Amino acid sequence: MNNIVIGQYIPGSSFLYKMDPRSKILALILLMVTTFVLTDIIQILVLLSVLLVILKLGGIPIGRIVKGLRPIIVLLFFTFTFQVLFIKTGRIILDETLHYSFYTILLAVGVVLFWMITKRFIKFKISYFLMMIVGILSIFMYYPIGDPFAQGQLVIYTGGLQGAFFIMVRLIIIVTLSTILTLTTKPTDLTLGLEQLLKPLSIIKVSAEEIALIISIALRYIPTLLDEANKIMLAQASRGVDFKEGKLKDKVVQIISLLVPMFIISFKRSDELANAMEARNFVPGNRRTRLHILTWQTIDTITIIITAITIPVAILLRVMLG
Amino acid sequence: MAIKFTEVSYQYSSPDGSLFDALKNINLDIAKTGEFIALIGETGSGKSTLVQHMNALMKPSSGQVEIYGIKINHSKSKKQKLTPLRQKVGLVFQFPEYQLFEETVMRDIMFGPRNFNISKEEAKQRARKAIIQVGLDESYLERSPFNLSGGEKKRVSIAGILAMEPDILVLDEPTSGLDPKGRDALIDLFTLIHNTYHKTIIIITHDMNIVHQVASRVLVMREGELVFDGTSEALFNNESLNKWNLEEPDLIKMTKQLEQRYSISMRPFPKNIDQLFHHIKDVI
Repeated sequence: MNNIVIGQYIPGSSFLYKMDPRSKILALILLMVTTFVLTDIIQILVLLSVLLVILKLGGIPIGRIVKGLRPIIVLLFFTFTFQVLFIKTGRIILDETLHYSFYTILLAVGVVLFWMITKRFIKFKISYFLMMIVGILSIFMYYPIGDPFAQGQLVIYTGGLQGAFFIMVRLIIIVTLSTILTLTTKPTDLTLGLEQLLKPLSIIKVSAEEIALIISIALRYIPTLLDEANKIMLAQASRGVDFKEGKLKDKVVQIISLLVPMFIISFKRSDELANAMEARNFVPGNRRTRLHILTWQTIDTITIIITAITIPVAILLRVMLG
Repeated sequence: MAIKFTEVSYQYSSPDGSLFDALKNINLDIAKTGEFIALIGETGSGKSTLVQHMNALMKPSSGQVEIYGIKINHSKSKKQKLTPLRQKVGLVFQFPEYQLFEETVMRDIMFGPRNFNISKEEAKQRARKAIIQVGLDESYLERSPFNLSGGEKKRVSIAGILAMEPDILVLDEPTSGLDPKGRDALIDLFTLIHNTYHKTIIIITHDMNIVHQVASRVLVMREGELVFDGTSEALFNNESLNKWNLEEPDLIKMTKQLEQRYSISMRPFPKNIDQLFHHIKDVI
């Protein structure tokens, strides 16, 4: 429960930190569009290397970016597999027959069981998972023991590999871009920037200020509520609830015993917060001065111009090559 | 010994990765019956962390806690069944909001006993008994726990633990946020339980008057260390009292003033108003 970090901001002083949050958000959107316009693998690799240079100059440790990629590893794995299996263009680079017999399936099940038992002792979980997959495939491909009752074909084309690689790089770029934003911008600055950017929406009666307020209050209260949840779990554990065990029916009661106090405490807290805000004469939509004023600098203008130019360049490249 | 702490330390890791010592090298024995212990100390001194070790909600970072013969230490590999300990050592948290969740007070009080496989009928019996014990009447059993006043919620949460019939009752600041009448009623209740069933009771409190009136043994925590373990008389005669930011109880303050003004001796310090009157009578 304690290892959840909300707001990944790490303090620093590079140019990425000095930039206005507004220009950072805009640049993020513009670069994302560029990423989607590009279709050539070389071009997208160029974009990735430019991104790596920015990371280096901005003094952001690569380790933090890799950490940011961790949640999407499953997604990356699935897109990769689907691309490899279903794109059938280019040369064939692998064409193997898979033998499904009683013995090979038994062996495969054995490998899976071995993986499930040993995985908790292995540090590199993802590589270990991939090794397990490769192991199973090679059993089906190279050890045709017993009578196969079915046979399958595993065909991999160069196009499939290329496509899979391309999509992976694209996803990695997008996640890296947003990680850069959240790493170098304080949550408060982020919501402030968002508020300013959404201001034009007031024409269609959407209050940017209220949206920003809701976001910042939500961000502020996530750690508090996690803390409360932890306390409730301890209080219920004192009354004999074992949150780790129990049948499905017990589980339902356990979750209710956590959720009901959670709801009541959150409502109470929001009520108190509303009172505290009113006591300080907060009126939604009123004109307010700010403690921190966003300043647009030359670097922000330059960033926006450069990132904006990448879009027509990408379209041009696509038209010329395509 | 029911609970035995041997060189127990506990460290929190703060978000930036640094370690914070919540408990430092605690050695402590708590008897199965007959003790009335007050645990005092400043906010953040580790009192709540200490009591959460008493029913195995927390495991020590180093050292060992032994609760009813079950040894609890840092090793993770051993799969111990810890829930039975929580029936033996009942812990009431400071805020009743953290535990009340059922539709009626009756069902909420029954929740604890039911978790320890007590039959429905027996649990109902216990709920009826517990609600009376905490000084509310049976009409409360059918009410919703959320429509009660702060003091009533507190009593219901205590009843919820009492119904588990623990050997040792641990209460984290049971009197905070109560009016003087409610506070006195609760203290009377704890004294009653202590006297009738000889259960060991441990209360965390900031109220020195309570410590003086009821506690047979006082533990003082300071910055994660157990700096004092002894009788309340010994505590209030201790010279470090000021250093620990503790106040003398009103009765002792008053007695000392009387002693000073009329240069008389009124030792041992009176425990209650009656004893003070006796002292005064003797002098006159």
